[in-house]
Amino acid sequence: MDTKLKNVKYSPGAKITAFVIVWLCAMSAAGSFIWWVYHQDTKTSESYYDTYQFKNEFSVLVHNAVEYNVELKSETNIKSSGDAEDSIKNELQRYYIIKNKLSNTVNFAYYLKDTETEEIITNVANEDALALIQKQPSVVYYDQWTSASNNHPFGGDIAQMLTGTPYQFYAAVIEPLKPGDVFYDHSIKFTQNKALSSYVTFVLMASIILMIPFFIYLVIVTGRREQGGEITLSFIDRIYTDVHTILVFIAAIISLRIASAMQLDNEVELFIVALVFGIDILIGLSYVLSMIRQIKGKKLLKNTLVYSIFDLCFNGRAFKAWTLLLLLGYGAVNGMLFALAADAGGGFVGIFIFLIIPFNIAAVYFAAKSLLSLSQIMQAVKEISTGNIDHVLDKSQITVTFSRLAGDIQSIQGGLKKAVAEAVKGERMKTDLITNVSHDLKTPLTSVINYVDLLKQENLNNDKAQEYLGVLEEKSARLKQLIEDLIEASKASSGNLTVSAVKIDLHELVMQACGEYEEKIKKAALDVHINAADTKTFISADGKHMWRIVENLLSNVVKYSMPHSRVYINIAQSDQYGLLTVKNISANPLDIPPEQLTERFVRGDVSRTTEGSGLGLSIAQSLTNIQGGRFMIEIDGDLFKVLVEMPLWLD
Amino acid sequence: MIKQHSGVMEMDKLNVLVCDDDTAIVDALAIYLKQENYGVIKAYTGKQALKALAEQTIHLVLLDIMMPELDGLSTTIKIREEINIPIIILSAKSEDTDKITGLNFGADDYVTKPFNPLELMARVKSQMRRYTALGCLASSSGILKTGSLELDPDAKELRVDGEVIKLTATEYGIMLFLMQNMGHVFSIDQIYEHVWNEPSYSAENTVPVHIRRIREKIEINPKEPKYLKVVWGIGYKIEKC
Repeated sequence: MDTKLKNVKYSPGAKITAFVIVWLCAMSAAGSFIWWVYHQDTKTSESYYDTYQFKNEFSVLVHNAVEYNVELKSETNIKSSGDAEDSIKNELQRYYIIKNKLSNTVNFAYYLKDTETEEIITNVANEDALALIQKQPSVVYYDQWTSASNNHPFGGDIAQMLTGTPYQFYAAVIEPLKPGDVFYDHSIKFTQNKALSSYVTFVLMASIILMIPFFIYLVIVTGRREQGGEITLSFIDRIYTDVHTILVFIAAIISLRIASAMQLDNEVELFIVALVFGIDILIGLSYVLSMIRQIKGKKLLKNTLVYSIFDLCFNGRAFKAWTLLLLLGYGAVNGMLFALAADAGGGFVGIFIFLIIPFNIAAVYFAAKSLLSLSQIMQAVKEISTGNIDHVLDKSQITVTFSRLAGDIQSIQGGLKKAVAEAVKGERMKTDLITNVSHDLKTPLTSVINYVDLLKQENLNNDKAQEYLGVLEEKSARLKQLIEDLIEASKASSGNLTVSAVKIDLHELVMQACGEYEEKIKKAALDVHINAADTKTFISADGKHMWRIVENLLSNVVKYSMPHSRVYINIAQSDQYGLLTVKNISANPLDIPPEQLTERFVRGDVSRTTEGSGLGLSIAQSLTNIQGGRFMIEIDGDLFKVLVEMPLWLD
Repeated sequence: MIKQHSGVMEMDKLNVLVCDDDTAIVDALAIYLKQENYGVIKAYTGKQALKALAEQTIHLVLLDIMMPELDGLSTTIKIREEINIPIIILSAKSEDTDKITGLNFGADDYVTKPFNPLELMARVKSQMRRYTALGCLASSSGILKTGSLELDPDAKELRVDGEVIKLTATEYGIMLFLMQNMGHVFSIDQIYEHVWNEPSYSAENTVPVHIRRIREKIEINPKEPKYLKVVWGIGYKIEKC
């Protein structure tokens, strides 16, 4: 039950109902309040004769009556006064107006008595006019000493007119009032309004009393979907609060304008004003609630347009938008200077030379400085992307606008450096591991080789034993070769070798290598043909590494060539490279992709029965690469072709 | 206590100190050395080696590098402070830098494991001859000499460690030309033109084949020549010692 109530409490339906109630209450309260203010006169007066409205109208008529009977008197009296023509004309005009006015009123009665002549002037037809007048609650009396002013607006003026005259003046409205003049109309209205005013007061009070709890409820629940829940802002809250405030003010001003333009004397206009007024209250109420939600959500200041602009311009974004303000400022200052120059006339040249030119030079200078920074950053990024990760970006030369970008690029560069360093370290560790393991293998192998040899000397009278010893000897030698190759392959592939490039004659090297392999070539029954260009081919290479490459190729040729076949070694040169080509016919079919042959431990014979470690071509390729050359293998049926390109020696 | 098998000959024998932490290697080497009629003293650490040197007359040391207590390089330095006997380092470390370090620390030779026992014996004998024959051969005029390699133009003889090497006429011609210009590198063509006395057409690999054969005769390990060196892609030379 309790939860249900809470759910109802925060439901949109309840909120909307409360909102409508508050809105209606506000409208009725405001409406009755305005009525109340409008009819303040009625409210504070006991009777119609107490109202300011009555006093005003009554006083005007008293004034008129006195003026008519005491000053103007008659047409002839005015004409014989001997005043100026204009004055006479003016007084005559007044005379007729007042005469007309007095004759139109039906409830106004006066009694004027000349104490010297005992002459009586009155508009009352009754015998005892004075008694009738004096009986009325609204009676007033004037003579030259007495001003029964009763706060009558024209009391002073009237008294002045009677000063120095022997007149006594009584006036009143005769009750009961008869229809036909303003007194009657107004007294009817007064009675009506007087009756209405207590109702209006009640409506005002009731509206306010009803509105307060609903308004408080709205203040509490607005923006919340449940008790203590998150503040959810509605679409109206997306309007910047400062903009919202200004819009509300503008709406208020517009509605005031509309209201003041209305005469409020017909129903259409009243309806329009009421509509505008209702909309105003709606806007105001939603505005207040929106502000409350923003305060609850602690977003009142953040959600202002001013704050947003400030935030956009000055908060730490990569791109500082305030530089755009500089652009605006630049244009504005230039425009102002040009306007000034145009205005200055004769001083035009002076302003032009001493203000406009230096200002633009300065602007161009700072813009150029920024662009220079940008181009420096771009240059650095280009350098880094092409692999020069040690390129130094001098941050001191970068302007403020781009310093953050420069910093970010530096940190990317740092990360890259670290990654590369770690990769190098990893490769080195791998090489070290292989080298260390190989060293550990070498020591026991030394004993194996030594004892196999010692056993051989033991004159074993056993053919089988001799045969087994032969196998042991061969395999231990093979093991030794494998270990050495392994060390070399890991060093070559990790680039962990020093290269001292010198000027080398490729042809001489091939001749030397073939000299070394002469016996093995003969043993393999191969016919080696060396074809060299007439000119010497000088390459830039490390002699030892180059020998190892050629040795590995020759060793391959000797091991895997078809007996009695020809081997072609060509030496040539292209624009940049010295070319060494070795072609031979394989004894076994080659069904391995060429690129796989340079991988470690891959051998042409899958059965691996022949001697060799499967590292020869891999080592040769690695050694070629670390010397800046290229190593390619082509297989065409049984034709096996290796192409080594080494950079030419440049004097 | 070092016990020697042939007690009588003890004083005449040349003693070799074998030092390695791997007993199998020490034992095998002892057998080979005894076959060559050397006295053998065994040690398993650098400290033991120094102790043995202090106690006995030793003519040559075979020394491992990676040993407990005192490593081979430190031992070499200590030995060199005292005595000028030949030291041959035996090591699994096969880098050029390791070899250079060992030789610079005072070793006379550097052999990498696993070694060929016969090659090692040849090196031991070579060092021993150099050490014992020191100063006994006065070099007469006209003899070309580098290390223990001698060429006598008068006798038309080439000797290594005093032993005469049999050479063909062409091989002798090549050796004479190279030893007359010791330390100088000559290309195949240059050698051909000087030795054959006719222009080279560079089609033949005669010269490299001859040089390989000479190396096989004069070098202990032809693949790592001490005297007749290959400068790859440039030519050949006799190393000046």
